[in-house]
Amino acid sequence: KRGVVVSRSNGARGENGGAALRSGAGELEQCGVGTLSPPTMCDQLQQKIICPGLVSCLTASPNGLYILAGIAESIYLWEVSSGNLLAILNRHYQDLTCLCFTDDSSHFLSGAKDCLALVWNLYSVLQVESTQIPDPRHVWSRHTLPITDLCCGFGGPLARAATASLDQTVKLWEISSGELLLSVLFDVGITAVTLDPAEYHLFCGGMDGSVFQVELCAWPVQRDRNFQTERENGKTFKGHRNQVTCLSVSTDGSLLLSGSHDETVRLWEIQSKQCLRTVTHKGPVTNAFIVLAPANMLHPDSKPNVPLPKFSKHLHGTESSDAQGGEGVTLRLGLHQQGSGESYLERAERLYSQMCSTREKNLMGDQEQLKIQVTDLEEEVRTLRKINKNLFEFSARFLTKSAK
Amino acid sequence: MTKKRKRQEDFQKVKLKVGKKKPKLENVTDTNFKTKAIQIPEQLKEDGMLPVQNRKLNIKDLLSQMHHYSAGVKQSALVGLKDLLSQYPFIIDAHLSNIISEVAAVFTDKDSGVRGAAVCLLQFLASKLRAEQIAPYFPLVSAHLSSAMTHISEGIQEDSLKVLDILLEEYPVLLTDRSSILLKNFVELISHQQLSKRLKNRQKISWMLSVNPNRRVTSQQWRLNVLVRLRKFLRALVDGVSELEDEEGLQEQKEGSLSLKNPVCTNWKEHASNQQPIQLYENGGSQPKINSSFRLRSLVSMTDRMEKGLSSAENVKGFIEIIIPLLIECWIEASPAQLGAPVLGNLLEPESQQLMQQVLNIIHLLWKLTKQHDEMHKMEVWLRVNYLVDFKQHFMRHFPYSFQETVKHKKKDSYKRYEQNVSNNIDHLLLNLILCDIMVSLSSASTLHMDSDWLDRIRNFVTDTLQDGSKLNSKQLNRLLGVTWRLMQIQRNKVAAETLIKAVFTLYQQKNLLFPVRTLLLKFFSRVYQKEELSPQGVRNRSKILSRWLAGLPLQLVLLGSKNPELSNQLIDTIHSAASHSKKELLQSLQAIVSRIYDPLDGTLVLLPAESQQRLVQLVYFLPCLPTSLLSSLSRCCIMGRMSSELAATLIGILHMRSSFAGWKCQVQEGSLNDIDYFSFFFSTLTGFSREELMSLQSIRGKPHISQTQLSPVRLYLTDLDQFLHHWSVTEVVCHSLSTIPSRSQCFDILQSGICKYLVGMAVIPDSTAGSILCAINKLLDQACILSENLHKFLASCCYSLLYFLLTLDKEDAEHIQKRDVLWGSCISMLALLPRVLRLMLQSLQVSRVCREELPVIAQLLRLLIQHGQLRSHMVTNELLVQQIIKDMMTLKTGEVQEQWLTDLHYCFNIYLASHPQGPGPMNTVY
Repeated sequence: KRGVVVSRSNGARGENGGAALRSGAGELEQCGVGTLSPPTMCDQLQQKIICPGLVSCLTASPNGLYILAGIAESIYLWEVSSGNLLAILNRHYQDLTCLCFTDDSSHFLSGAKDCLALVWNLYSVLQVESTQIPDPRHVWSRHTLPITDLCCGFGGPLARAATASLDQTVKLWEISSGELLLSVLFDVGITAVTLDPAEYHLFCGGMDGSVFQVELCAWPVQRDRNFQTERENGKTFKGHRNQVTCLSVSTDGSLLLSGSHDETVRLWEIQSKQCLRTVTHKGPVTNAFIVLAPANMLHPDSKPNVPLPKFSKHLHGTESSDAQGGEGVTLRLGLHQQGSGESYLERAERLYSQMCSTREKNLMGDQEQLKIQVTDLEEEVRTLRKINKNLFEFSARFLTKSAK
Repeated sequence: MTKKRKRQEDFQKVKLKVGKKKPKLENVTDTNFKTKAIQIPEQLKEDGMLPVQNRKLNIKDLLSQMHHYSAGVKQSALVGLKDLLSQYPFIIDAHLSNIISEVAAVFTDKDSGVRGAAVCLLQFLASKLRAEQIAPYFPLVSAHLSSAMTHISEGIQEDSLKVLDILLEEYPVLLTDRSSILLKNFVELISHQQLSKRLKNRQKISWMLSVNPNRRVTSQQWRLNVLVRLRKFLRALVDGVSELEDEEGLQEQKEGSLSLKNPVCTNWKEHASNQQPIQLYENGGSQPKINSSFRLRSLVSMTDRMEKGLSSAENVKGFIEIIIPLLIECWIEASPAQLGAPVLGNLLEPESQQLMQQVLNIIHLLWKLTKQHDEMHKMEVWLRVNYLVDFKQHFMRHFPYSFQETVKHKKKDSYKRYEQNVSNNIDHLLLNLILCDIMVSLSSASTLHMDSDWLDRIRNFVTDTLQDGSKLNSKQLNRLLGVTWRLMQIQRNKVAAETLIKAVFTLYQQKNLLFPVRTLLLKFFSRVYQKEELSPQGVRNRSKILSRWLAGLPLQLVLLGSKNPELSNQLIDTIHSAASHSKKELLQSLQAIVSRIYDPLDGTLVLLPAESQQRLVQLVYFLPCLPTSLLSSLSRCCIMGRMSSELAATLIGILHMRSSFAGWKCQVQEGSLNDIDYFSFFFSTLTGFSREELMSLQSIRGKPHISQTQLSPVRLYLTDLDQFLHHWSVTEVVCHSLSTIPSRSQCFDILQSGICKYLVGMAVIPDSTAGSILCAINKLLDQACILSENLHKFLASCCYSLLYFLLTLDKEDAEHIQKRDVLWGSCISMLALLPRVLRLMLQSLQVSRVCREELPVIAQLLRLLIQHGQLRSHMVTNELLVQQIIKDMMTLKTGEVQEQWLTDLHYCFNIYLASHPQGPGPMNTVY
């Protein structure tokens, strides 16, 4: 059942819903129970990947080069062109709930049930050595209940990002400095958030099904605002009967799309707050968004011009790629060179060197580590000796005393 | 002859005789009046005249007297000036520049009395003047001050320190602006330059301590005096640069990471009209960075900060190079090893101790200063290279400077001294701690193997102090924890860190600790915990003691109760963050104790103030499992009104998220919240009263609490307005949560069976409960639901009781009048939604003689029901019943005068119902 819910297409702009969209080719990716599968337009599966756990969120970078998936507590990063699994990031303590790229694909944000939102620099994540765990650029820990949704504005690393949480607040942050700009408190927990393209308004979908519109340029400037439904009755879209799960604003900022657990998708006109269209589904809507129609979408027989590679299940660089150097781009100049593969001799040599390297690594792999371990152990021995001595003294005293 | 006679007439001789009174002369003055002096203490003020003091000297006289050659005159002028200014404070503003220039000039006066008076006056002025007022004259004052400090006469030098004290007290910021001159003066006060030939070779100028036998005090005492001021000055400098709080040990580093920077708020409207200048700071920060090489001219401070001072790393380095050798010399003279030497044998023990303490304090402050400058590690390395050997040799040689040791040396001293030492005992600890602080900051993780000998000594000292640290005060503890923290940072070694944590933990486990101490320890632990969280080593390196500490937190929270909300808040913070990171130990202990936290009577939740309550409610989300008992106490918490209704709404929202109906992203752990429990939580919250309470209500009789009608078996208990409103707002949230459950009809069935089982058959029902149930049924009902007969009857009698209550309500009864709208609305929509309930209610209105006094109310009710737009069609179908009731009323009323209410009812009936005989007529004849 869960597999169905993750992607429901909305149909309001007719077009595409789903978890993630790859630019260029126009495939949709659909994730079900433990699977990550990019089908083509006509719902035929192009590929299906079995993931190690339930995929709770999925996003592709706007430049189409990387795919991020949140699986349980870790973030998986794939490279689209090669299908390599480049990184697994384990900084969250509980399940991921949302992922989001900045519009220039240089950073991404992740939110999880442990109330943390992390900002990562994509390239520093990629460049870090495999032994180290990459650090996020900012850790935003001001929410007190799970983060439910993230939204990133325009401007690359200079953009602002909004986080929504069940603790009834929506917070607006600056990605470059990591500072909190605004915190809005609502009457209900917030489950979806989005910014309009001009960033004049913030749209927040609540657990009770209402969508709130927060003026960002309101006067006077307040860092902590309180949004009360009664007082600002003109700023609420009412119609959904259950929690709002997704929000999206059209590129001209006039239409708002919202999907909800009451099994409907609604399209609103922002100016008048009227519901223009309601689309019903069989089952809760979990995701819907507005995109520009890709060029080849309307041709049902069109094929993607770049086939998707097979997405690997294991971390790139750990299994067999030591010989290839691990880092650096593999360039393939023309097909004719592919024929001349390496000879058996070369291959044997490579295998040998690989074996040697792993053994060396084990032996003297990390001198530093070894030293620390040695001091650790020495310290431990010293403490044990001390304890032993104490024990001996004590017992000796005890025995002599009892003898008396 | 005649001439002669004539002359005689003119000058007759009066003959006076003895015994006769002298006749009164004509021109005698009458003197028998009495006089009394008229005292005029104050002259009438005349404009043009300046106010004067006791000696009738005005400000100009006094100021001119300052130039008098006689010291006595000058002194009395200064005293007079002080009198004058305290009588007429307004003079200060008018003559400030003169006053200050004159007063500052006598800082260097030869006579000590004059200087004393000047210091007095300065003290007085400083209390009156704000820093901005004195800022323009400050260059002058400080010039005089430094000339006094560098004066050749010792007396003047000594008094200059008093001036410095006053200025440091009142205007630290202004004084630190001129640090470059003053620091040099300090050095010169206690030492002199070694004049040697090497000076020309551009070698470093070396300084050495000077001993001046002419001073009134011993040179050690003098040094102490100077060093105390130097410490104060450096403290002001450190505070001024970073605005740290006093004696920060532990919080200091934390502040940097946790402080919320206020972003720049730009108001473009004002900028557009040029009302405000735009300040731009680099890197988008909210404040200009002080250490940047590009500096905008500071708008705040009037003085230019171009002079060197200690504002750059180079200058600090230079000053350290000068002062530290001197300090070490001071130390050597004062240190206990030297006590045997004959020269210093007469020194008082506490004095040298104080000297040692000052030395260490100054070094500590200098370290802080260096840390504030950039390229910190470079400075650290530099310090280490230059001073580690010296420090090890001098400071660490007798390291734990203990009370016993001094006693051993001073055994020959009298008993009195001994007692003094006891009182000073506490200082030993602080002294040792500062020393630890300094030494530890010289070491780092990379140099661990070289420093292990003295680090071990420090570590042992720290561990010992912690373990018997029951009488530590918070200031000492703060430093101690600072040292511990640094030690733990240096030694990555797990065993060593564990012993340290263990020592702190033993201290933490002691029972009767003061609250500030306890708070410090908590902060320390939560910091260690945070660091461990961030460390990439993973599960293997978890400290056992830390997890024990973590697991003990919930119990501590419960035991703390409402005694110290601040501390509780901190505990909750830590628990919250650990729970959100799903720490197993914590969650287990939390789960074990959860019933005591959320106890509706005396749990932590109901005792704490609102903000903490919110955090505690949010904690419910992270509980691994929500047992039935917890839910029942939560529901009691919700309805008892100890939490605000918004908070109750939050709680219900959180429970909704935890339930299996939310379907939010991926599921929470299966089976953590039972569906049955979930529904019973809702039902008991909806009821708003526990079963026992309902039972006890059954026996209540009488007017003020109970509204009773003959025609319905249900009597209403009238709740307080507060309780009613609280219950109502909770009801609305519950109804909403229930309505989001997918299978509506099953949900309704559960509700129905709950009502039938627990409420049907009760004789007395609270009005809020009745209203809530009507409201819930209204919300949940749809076509698929089938109501049982029992429920129909119950609802009908509830409706009638409520309507009767509303119609008999006093207009003046402010308390109940507010209930009217909500209750009326829910009754009407219930009747409109379920025609069968309406029919049953009408059937129950069997008017008889018993209820004669109710007749007007019934008539009014009928009229209102008929007139109501939503109900009209249903009333039409029940026309016969209504007709019957009216007939019955008529028969009961025969023989009496036709009353107004009856005519109204007749009229309405005829207009709305009688005109369409039989069946549902079209609605076009409404008006």
